[in-house]
Amino acid sequence: MPKTIEKAKKQSEFVRIIKQMSKNKMAMLGLAILSAEIILAILSPYIIPYDYSHMDMVNTFAKPSFQHPFGCDDMGRDIFSRILYGARYSISIGIIAVGIGTFFGCTIGATAGYFGGQVDNVIMRFLDVIQAIPGMLLMIVISAVLGPGYFNTIIALSIGSISGMARLLRAQMLKERENEYIEAAQSINCSKFRIIVSHLLPNCISPMIVSATMGVAQTITVAAGLSFIGLGVQPPTPEWGAMLSAARQFIRQAPHLVYFPGLAIAVTVLALNLLGDGLRDALDPKLKN
Amino acid sequence: MLKYVGKRLIWMIPIVLGVAILVFVMMTFCPGRPEQIILGATATEAELAAKRLELGLDDPFLIRLGRYMSDVFIHFDLGKSWLTNVDIMSSIWERLPRTLMLTVATLLISVGVGVPLGVIAAIKQNKWQDSLCMVLALVGVAVPNFWLALLLVLQFSVKLEWLPALGIGTGLAGIKYYILPAISGSTGGLANCARQTRSAMLDVIRADYITTARSKGVPERDVIIKHALKNSLIPIITVMGTMFGQFLGGAMIIETIFSIPGMGTYIIGAVNSRDYPIVQGGSIFLAITFSFCMLIVDLLYAMVDPRIKAQYASQKKRRKVKVNA
Repeated sequence: MPKTIEKAKKQSEFVRIIKQMSKNKMAMLGLAILSAEIILAILSPYIIPYDYSHMDMVNTFAKPSFQHPFGCDDMGRDIFSRILYGARYSISIGIIAVGIGTFFGCTIGATAGYFGGQVDNVIMRFLDVIQAIPGMLLMIVISAVLGPGYFNTIIALSIGSISGMARLLRAQMLKERENEYIEAAQSINCSKFRIIVSHLLPNCISPMIVSATMGVAQTITVAAGLSFIGLGVQPPTPEWGAMLSAARQFIRQAPHLVYFPGLAIAVTVLALNLLGDGLRDALDPKLKN
Repeated sequence: MLKYVGKRLIWMIPIVLGVAILVFVMMTFCPGRPEQIILGATATEAELAAKRLELGLDDPFLIRLGRYMSDVFIHFDLGKSWLTNVDIMSSIWERLPRTLMLTVATLLISVGVGVPLGVIAAIKQNKWQDSLCMVLALVGVAVPNFWLALLLVLQFSVKLEWLPALGIGTGLAGIKYYILPAISGSTGGLANCARQTRSAMLDVIRADYITTARSKGVPERDVIIKHALKNSLIPIITVMGTMFGQFLGGAMIIETIFSIPGMGTYIIGAVNSRDYPIVQGGSIFLAITFSFCMLIVDLLYAMVDPRIKAQYASQKKRRKVKVNA
């Protein structure tokens, strides 16, 4: 019986958030753009007009036209196809890196926040050290250690996002664990794991969701930046930052090479930010004035 | 207050030590053999072995770590570049002013444009001016700064030929070299500044003391600037402080695009050529600078807000929470 009540309540909360979100036009616009991008990225091998690596020396630096909507690059590769296919890399780097970062961040933050005391002290001092290094520099150093490449970039970016997430969850936990329902759970001898995972986490998760959404946006930009300076994904791969980096040397002959990959990043980040803003308003009514 | 500053300064020591150890450990895992990097691919086995001995690379890890630590923190010597044999500390002092110049210029643009935008948006809440400012802020956050940099170079250097696309100049003529980098680096911070200013202004603008000020006939300009803006400074300072610190390390991409020989290009160049002592030394130096920035931000809070100052002075408990947080 209690389980069904809990379920009904959870659903209504979920429905409330969805309803709240659907009223927010900007957030819906963001969600629409993002879903469209993700669907296009998944379907890209089947719908792109040209193979993303197909070279066509006749069309080197071709201007945008009906055959090539975004033009062609220095090897005569179709930029439109490359951008659609590249969305797989750019968006997945963002989502996976933030996913890993959030998972470890949550684990560390929850441990520090729930146990407090010496455990908290040790963890927080370690995070202090990591956060004393400016974010971009930290990721560049980690990339230097690991070497370039898709997976190494993901690892570098996720390590970079752990400390922020851990801090955020810890702060939430510290506030939340003072509540009576936690004391109640402790008094019926609930295991610590269970208290953290099924009692505390659901009540602390809203700011994490918002911050993760914004984090994906930021991570996509940083990943593109890393590729741009040659430390992330390497050029033949159609990752957006790597495409920009390759386009840079042809900026005088073929400026259209520079326009579209950057535009793709900007649109994706904009959509994610709109979605994040909407989520924050829907998840945390207190924050809305 | 002084006691607080002292405490914070002392607290910086373990943090900086921690950073140094962390960076040292990471650098030992870097691919490539140092002696090979120094002597090049043509060196013989015997030469390599001699170099290893000279650098003490065969010593146990802890001894190498201890040696590095004593060099850095007792002799204030970050070592020498493997490739050029130039002292790292002097290279940093040579390059730092350029990065600082770029950072300050970026900050000036962000605050100089972002704060007025935020104020306008708050005063004209829900009118078209507000929407326009907020759309600008959204776009500012979304546009990657290296892309904007390329677009600006394309427009103002390649097409119009108004401003130089790369390098640095000397004297007053050198300022024009910083215009494009500063503009392209500032968008994110500018947008953040505008959003923070707007929301902070909206919080205070309906407060009773604003109504009081208006009703006793204070001119509207003074109400906004002296009463409302002054009380919304805290979030703005936070944005500025983090931006300043982040930008010292984060200007790397901008510096690379515009070939500014600052800290960023120094470290990235070192990463690419595997000149690890530079990466190590540069990271430690930037971490110290970053920590100082954060301290200055906290002190600025106390300067603009007497309530925070009072916290430092009296309630010991609160201070403790603040330090730990």
